[in-house]
Amino acid sequence: MKHRKKAGASIAAVTTAALLLTSCSSGGGGTSSAGDGTGDVEVWAHQGKDTEVAALQDAVANFNASQSDINVNLTLVPEADYTTTIQSTSAGDLPDVLELDGPTLASFVYDAKVAPIDSYVSQDTIDNATGGDVNQGTVDGTLYALAQFNSGLGLYANGAMLDAAGVSYPDSIESAWTADEFLSALKTLAAANDSGYALDIKENYGLGGEWGTYAFSPLLQSAGGNLIADNKASGVIDGPESVSAMEAFQSWLPYVDPDEDDSALVDGRVAISWGGHWMYPGYSEALGNDLVVLPLPNMGTGTKSGAGSWTWGMGSNTGQGAAAGAFLDYLLNDENVKAMTTANGAPPATKSALATDALYSAGGPLELWGQQLEAGCNADSVTSDCVTVLRPLTAGYPVITSEFASALAAIATGDDAQSALTGAATAIDQSFSDNNDYK
Amino acid sequence: MTTAQKQRSRSHRLHAARSYLVLTALAALYIAPAYYLVVGSFKPAADVLSGLRGFVPEHLSFDNYRSVFDSLASDSTGYFWQFMVNSALISAAVVVVGLVVNSMAAYSFARLKWRGRDKSFLVVVALVIVPFEAVAIPLLFMLNGMRNSLLVQSLPFFANAFSIYLFYTFFLGMSKEIEEAARLDGLGSFGTFLRIAVPSAKPVFATVAILTFLTTWGQYLWPSLVVSNPSYRPLPLELSVFSGQMPVDWGEVLAFGVLLVVPVLVFFVSFQRFFVQSLASSAVKG
Amino acid sequence: MSNLTVDRSPRRKLRWNRQDIPGVAMAAPGVIGLLVFVAAPFLVAVFLSFYNAQLNSPRAPNFIGITQYSRLFADMQFWRALGNNLTFAAVVIPVQTAIALGLAMLVNQRLRGISIFRALFFLPVIFPMALVAVIWRLILSRSEDGLLNSLVHVVSFGQVGAQDWLGNSATALPSIILLSIWQGVGFQMIILLAGLQEIPQERYEAAQLDRASRWQQFLYVTLPGLRNTLIFVVLLTSILAFRVYDQVYILITSGGANKTATQTVLYQATTSVFDQNNLGRASAITVVFFAIVLVITVIQRRVVRQESEA
Repeated sequence: MKHRKKAGASIAAVTTAALLLTSCSSGGGGTSSAGDGTGDVEVWAHQGKDTEVAALQDAVANFNASQSDINVNLTLVPEADYTTTIQSTSAGDLPDVLELDGPTLASFVYDAKVAPIDSYVSQDTIDNATGGDVNQGTVDGTLYALAQFNSGLGLYANGAMLDAAGVSYPDSIESAWTADEFLSALKTLAAANDSGYALDIKENYGLGGEWGTYAFSPLLQSAGGNLIADNKASGVIDGPESVSAMEAFQSWLPYVDPDEDDSALVDGRVAISWGGHWMYPGYSEALGNDLVVLPLPNMGTGTKSGAGSWTWGMGSNTGQGAAAGAFLDYLLNDENVKAMTTANGAPPATKSALATDALYSAGGPLELWGQQLEAGCNADSVTSDCVTVLRPLTAGYPVITSEFASALAAIATGDDAQSALTGAATAIDQSFSDNNDYK
Repeated sequence: MTTAQKQRSRSHRLHAARSYLVLTALAALYIAPAYYLVVGSFKPAADVLSGLRGFVPEHLSFDNYRSVFDSLASDSTGYFWQFMVNSALISAAVVVVGLVVNSMAAYSFARLKWRGRDKSFLVVVALVIVPFEAVAIPLLFMLNGMRNSLLVQSLPFFANAFSIYLFYTFFLGMSKEIEEAARLDGLGSFGTFLRIAVPSAKPVFATVAILTFLTTWGQYLWPSLVVSNPSYRPLPLELSVFSGQMPVDWGEVLAFGVLLVVPVLVFFVSFQRFFVQSLASSAVKG
Repeated sequence: MSNLTVDRSPRRKLRWNRQDIPGVAMAAPGVIGLLVFVAAPFLVAVFLSFYNAQLNSPRAPNFIGITQYSRLFADMQFWRALGNNLTFAAVVIPVQTAIALGLAMLVNQRLRGISIFRALFFLPVIFPMALVAVIWRLILSRSEDGLLNSLVHVVSFGQVGAQDWLGNSATALPSIILLSIWQGVGFQMIILLAGLQEIPQERYEAAQLDRASRWQQFLYVTLPGLRNTLIFVVLLTSILAFRVYDQVYILITSGGANKTATQTVLYQATTSVFDQNNLGRASAITVVFFAIVLVITVIQRRVVRQESEA
């Protein structure tokens, strides 16, 4: 008697859950519409550096002030939770315009959370986007996102300290340090520094997060390995090339400053900082002419670096496609792109802004990184000629990055590289096979 | 005083002195992290991370506090007072509604008879050990339509199995005579609950209120799942924004931390004696 | 998801008399609340654990039977996480209680200003765990300027170098245990203090007349007198110890803590959803976790009941 009644209650609960599941799962996959080009446009962006936030807020304010048909409302979401927030928000609750971390775009297309933008954004804007930008924003041949800026990744160094220690350093992509040269440079520099350290890898960002994948997966590709190939990670991410890259990484660790206060290079505790473009404003202000900009170490097949950054897309259920497109056109114009890239030191992702950019065009201090971006490729077509490699454009990217970054963090605390990477490979492959390769 | 008394009082003083010494040493060591928090909040970031010098009160200023308020001054980032108000409202709601709902339920289980009572109580007891973290994700799945509201941050916490259990053990121990007297006076079940049971259970109410307030004020996981709009964000979630924004200014983070704790501290200091007593006595009886 | 009504059909066709109504009415809000917000999600988790499901995906979940469970039990990381949970609980419960008891006895003296000391020891309890994690992340920083490293450096006359407390697998979990105990001791102390104050002074005097030493007084007067309170404290701490989450999550994701050595079962559940959008796996972990905690709680209660009957 009791059992039957308890079973009855459980069945009721289970049926309810089933109903919830099916109703929830059909709530995604929206259809966007253009609207009439007027009204409110909701925009979400990540809350990054103060200067970036200010530049974006200015762009929004100026757009609102410049015309009276469209009103943009901006909401900032903490950077650390941004992607998770989009993942846990259903398509119907997403805004008209949203920023996306470039490599996560494919997974949001897979979840039907973003709408194609080519019918809403002007053709001029699309034509003005750099090749790398279009590559990053295109999934299955359809354009979903465009960016204001790309990213630059490499080594910053204090030239004065290098000279004082007698360490020679590269002045071009071709002359990048080899892994051995890099290690011996670190040893020399650490010996010459009171702190006993030579390198800062921004541990304070958390190696287990996206920074880990962005900043250090190029090492795998530079060594001849990769994160994934043909939707398989086993043998690739834990293949001999990748493992040797990570073991080399491990050998540098004794010379790495924990950098809790994020100012190791500025304070002189290290001579080299593994860094992205956003550090340029602060570093150039602190080090002035002593600051030199170098490529990442060459692990065997030529130096490789990262690319891709925050990009702008549209919510799949937006009813304000035309108005949102107008805002995006405005955001991607030269004036706003320049304002943003001045604020964060990033390479512009529009041809017109890049051509006249003070930092990245010929003769500028970050010219080397600009050249890196010109020789870009996708992760599934790495050649010895290309330098910057976009992170894998697959809907399974969240798993790849989480597994690789965790493995990297474990390797950084001393774990065996092969077993950490093999663990990552197994998890990635399982996720891919469970989800039919995320097709 | 006799010699014996003099000897005893001297040894008392020695004993007292030794106790004070031990207590002070322990308290100093114990409170060091909190002291570090407060002192660090008034220092520039570089001084915060400088080894033991982090304890020395030098270069003090309100700059960090000013920065906290300055950087939280727009609709897109949210306003500090707004985070504070959100936390306060959510905590107040959960505490007050929780006290009502859970004490009533516990009284019903402990003192009233009705069909299905024992089975229902078994379910409640079983649910005591289910940690919130375990149901957070399915709950997110269920409540997805309600995200970004104060309601979604309070509603799931009104009913609390542990609070019911605390009230229950107290009400079990109530004397039947008083209840019967009340019944003879014409008070119904609810009336007895209100006029007799509640006043006698002040210690438990206070205990449950404190526990609930502490847990709700410090909530991190649930808000991180259901809130993306700064207008609805509570304080502890905002702390993660501060400590996650590169470059991290540790001075500002500590200042934010102090601001996070101060209201709770004020709350406690005001009601200190009452709470400590009641917390303790309910545990002893329970 | 706007028309969310969880239809919980009553356990049986209950015919309630008029006398039943007050009882049912008073219990209803609480019970319904628990059913909807605790029991139902748990059942949803059980249900989802048999599927390969994602959050907010337009694709329907597909049924895969017990695959989530078989994978879970074959996953070394999961067993390690469970081991971490058990280690944490096994250390925290006795150690924190013992320290709390010691502190309670210390502050149980009639000295002037003793309430200040009580308040100081209680202070960390009111710090939200998210804040505790941030403070201790700075204290445990692996740089030479980290507070603990500086202290160790001074105390050891420079012999011991800077340690990576959170990153090193040997010291990671102990570090988290340390900060958790730091935060929780005050609460237990207050409860035990009240228990101590309930013990009649006459018993101590009688013991002293019998020439009992301090230690014997402790064993034969204090401990027995504290019995109920101690049981309450231990049970409460056990429940809280298994729920350790905030500090682990924050320190692993942004404090550089060694993931293998510190991750807990709940951490695995949330990262399954956050990082891999694997709702099915997260649900399976939830179910297994609940089962384990249930078993341990039942065992604890049996032991307590046996002792009180003995």
